[in-house]
Amino acid sequence: MILVIGARSSGKRAYVEALGYGPETIADGVLDDRPVLYNLQDITMADPEGAPALLESLKDKEVVVCDEVGSGVIPLEKARRLGREATGRLCCQLAREATQVVRLVAGIPTVIKG
Amino acid sequence: MKILLTGGSGCGKSSFAESLVMKFPLPRWYVATMQSYGAESERKIARHRAMRATKGFETIESQTDVGKIELPRGGTVLLECLCNLTANEMFDAEGNERDPYDKILREVRSLAEKADNLILVTNDVGSDAESYSDSTLRYVDTLGRLNAVFASEFDLVYELVCGIPILLKGEAV
Repeated sequence: MILVIGARSSGKRAYVEALGYGPETIADGVLDDRPVLYNLQDITMADPEGAPALLESLKDKEVVVCDEVGSGVIPLEKARRLGREATGRLCCQLAREATQVVRLVAGIPTVIKG
Repeated sequence: MKILLTGGSGCGKSSFAESLVMKFPLPRWYVATMQSYGAESERKIARHRAMRATKGFETIESQTDVGKIELPRGGTVLLECLCNLTANEMFDAEGNERDPYDKILREVRSLAEKADNLILVTNDVGSDAESYSDSTLRYVDTLGRLNAVFASEFDLVYELVCGIPILLKGEAV
């Protein structure tokens, strides 16, 4: 599994498409049997407590794409605070499982693992 | 050796910090700056305590005034984190605000001199586009300036991304 991370609109989707994944292979914010899960943070921010249980099914994906949501002022709103933590922790676990971790900055990919 | 660790929430800063501390001999001091505001922070404090339980850390509770900490045997200090310390020094329980920049700079430097090694954990609070009150913006600005000055003075600076340490300054230990 390749983990692709980076800020919102940092070029992650274009990077995944350049790897050869067409739109029909990319699931946007839903967990189904397509090989690429895009916008993982939409799932984890909506249900932080359910985030750890996603690990098993995400391990079988070819590519998982997630926004980096942990930076900036820690939110006063509890749900957003827990969502950021849960997203970050799940990404730490995914990074351990991943064969490669790629971080996008301004459209430029940097391989930070693998 | 002085090391600064930065990164967002849940990016693995604490566990990487502890793995760094384990490279240095005893004594190991954990300076805990977090104030408990109820169940959520209690859970976080308990999780951090469990991570340190088997690693020979002695905990020093110090929500403010880290310059007053005495380390008779030197050793390695893990201070977690500069963001809590800055908030605690900047705002009191009644919501009064003061500029803590000079005090924190002086006190963290003083702690660094007493320790053989200091590992300072901070956070990247400036990376969002939300609108905040003037006082929160002053907090972001103060912490950003402190991060920059400690990064320039310290030997190593890492950013943690998904648990992966990215060395921004220095030669890895």
